[in-house]
Amino acid sequence: MKSREEEYREIFMAEALEYYDAMSRHISELEKDPTDEKALHELFRLMHNLKANARAMGFNDIGEVAHQMETIFGLIRSKERTFSGSLVPVLFAGVDTLGNMIRAVDQDEEVPNADVLLRNLDLLVLGEEPILEAEEKPADEDASRKLELSDLVYIQIKKLDHLLNLVGELIIDRDRILTLSQEIGNPALQTAASHLFRIADDLQYSVMDARLVNVGSLFNKFPRVVRDVAVAENKEVELTINGQDIQIDRNILQIITDALLHLVRNAIGHGLETATERRRQGKPEQGNLILSAQTERDDVLIQVIDDGRGIDVEQVRRKAVERGLVSAEASKSLDANAVRGFLFEPGFSMAKEVTDISGRGVGLDVVKLAIDSLGGQLRVDSVLGQGTTFTLVLPTSIAVKGALLFELEERSYAIPLMHTDSVVSLQPKQLHVVGGVLMARLLSENIPVVDLRTLLHSASDGVLLPAVKAELQGRQDIIIVNYNNRKLGFIVDRFLRQQDIVIKPMSKPLDMIDLFGGVTLLGSGQVCLVIDVPALTRLFLAKRP
Amino acid sequence: MAEIEPTSEKKAIKQDKLIQLIVFRLGDEEYGIRIEQVKEVTVTPEIAKMPKTPSFVKGIANLRGDIIAVIDLEERFKLRPANEPLPAMSYTLAIEAKDYTIGIVVREVPQPLSVPMSIIEKTPEFIQDINVHDKYIEGIAKVDGRIIIVLDMPKLLSPAEIMQLNPKIESSAAAPRTRA
Repeated sequence: MKSREEEYREIFMAEALEYYDAMSRHISELEKDPTDEKALHELFRLMHNLKANARAMGFNDIGEVAHQMETIFGLIRSKERTFSGSLVPVLFAGVDTLGNMIRAVDQDEEVPNADVLLRNLDLLVLGEEPILEAEEKPADEDASRKLELSDLVYIQIKKLDHLLNLVGELIIDRDRILTLSQEIGNPALQTAASHLFRIADDLQYSVMDARLVNVGSLFNKFPRVVRDVAVAENKEVELTINGQDIQIDRNILQIITDALLHLVRNAIGHGLETATERRRQGKPEQGNLILSAQTERDDVLIQVIDDGRGIDVEQVRRKAVERGLVSAEASKSLDANAVRGFLFEPGFSMAKEVTDISGRGVGLDVVKLAIDSLGGQLRVDSVLGQGTTFTLVLPTSIAVKGALLFELEERSYAIPLMHTDSVVSLQPKQLHVVGGVLMARLLSENIPVVDLRTLLHSASDGVLLPAVKAELQGRQDIIIVNYNNRKLGFIVDRFLRQQDIVIKPMSKPLDMIDLFGGVTLLGSGQVCLVIDVPALTRLFLAKRP
Repeated sequence: MAEIEPTSEKKAIKQDKLIQLIVFRLGDEEYGIRIEQVKEVTVTPEIAKMPKTPSFVKGIANLRGDIIAVIDLEERFKLRPANEPLPAMSYTLAIEAKDYTIGIVVREVPQPLSVPMSIIEKTPEFIQDINVHDKYIEGIAKVDGRIIIVLDMPKLLSPAEIMQLNPKIESSAAAPRTRA
């Protein structure tokens, strides 16, 4: 893989060459019809973009020429100059010089000296006659002229989606072929199969890589959003953006766009206090909002951090009881994390007043749903009076997910690692029945545990029968999952292994059953259901005795 | 797939259009599906039972990379007690429903059969005897003394029908199952 630096350079080169082509075209149009406003605007825009890109990449010579050219086109646009006379050859020379400079950068050659051109451009800006040198060997230049095609291809995301789906299918078949070749035991077939394995692997990562974009492409839209929201809310906000160059699948970024927008609006609307209030509390008047991205193992963490008033856990606890989400009794035993989890329940809003920007009845549950649909996690941490941090844990890529395979009733199931906290094997004496629910005490935490078989086969109405400890025989294999700040253990028959899986969506009409996020095909050809942890957790909460 | 077999009826009514059916046995009766609704007939692949589905939904299977639901119409029509295991060898008809494919498992090899359109009687008279609700039936064909019930698959295979989105039946759907 190329370094990011090199990748940027390639993108710059491809764009610059494209700009150059467009400039050559538009300046010819302008020569034919000096009143062609559209061509003039385009030239101005292209010069401006080239200037900005070149300066960002440190190619200051190109930036300088583009800047001067932009100035002149600006003057023409404001009718202070006309595209005629001695101005025309200078501008043509300018476009050609830019082309040469771009090509020189591309070839790692010395960038041609543009002093003569710059002097002439200066003179033009000042309204003086440029010093035109005698025609410079025009024949030679025409002969050496090269036509170049851009190194950059624009591609519809739909095509990349299709490619990724095909790769997903290929991976499934590849695993099947590998298993078969081991069963058959023919050495030539095994060699071919392992070669296929490596190629398919490379192909998969190449396609995934082609879909990656910088988080910055979304983050960079936020300064404006923050400004507008801050003005509407009458608050002073300083936005800091970190980790723009972290890369993530383009579709994942697309899906979290609304969620991020919502979190940012929330942070300004409800999180940050007004300047007066902040002063009273001894905080700087300007509220701080941080948007940050970082990678953690295979995941991307996106955080929205504010230093506002924070979340009042007791208020949330009261509200949850009021809304009947939890009994007053049970609410007392919940820790702060579990209580904050209620914020993501549908329709649970802490906003006291409905403002223009946030709190239009759309709550954090929408954010939660978006993250769930990606198989991601949403966490919230907060210190009352000091601020709130929302953390989105997202997969880098949609196609492949790490999963834990386990067995239940002689069938394989998969559970995404994203939601798996840990696996433990416990003896019945390590489990206790509290209020009809099995409880395991792990690392000084009480975790409810349920037999997955019972939960999956529970009647759709009514609750689970209270757990009976005597039914537990021998060692219990338990998968602890974590969803919405709540931990829950599922008793399964047997752990199998950890594996990367490609999830296919559940086919209709079975997609009505939300307990499964999809299916995957194992190397053995067996169909394996993928557990949807959010749905299963909700089912348990609805059905616990 | 089917060969056109001239029948006595065909000679009698010359202009009559022939339709081809895939005929299979459910319980003691013969049923038919129009061949254009059948995508393929195959030996039943391995089926993974899916929790939270009615018991006549046998599960999901991998049919050439497509994951499809497989249902047992004998159980659906109550021609066989629920949860009886399938025989070691059975056949699956992949049926093209409105916007998905679904598998129908049958215990004997399905056979193609051509019948003239005109012999399909649109008004079934004796349907109440069997548990097939008349709304799934396109008609009854009498061919050489055989009686074939022609099913209207799109109606039978609507998502609401398959998932039995009916609170009364849900308890049976969630009855304990021990068989994988």
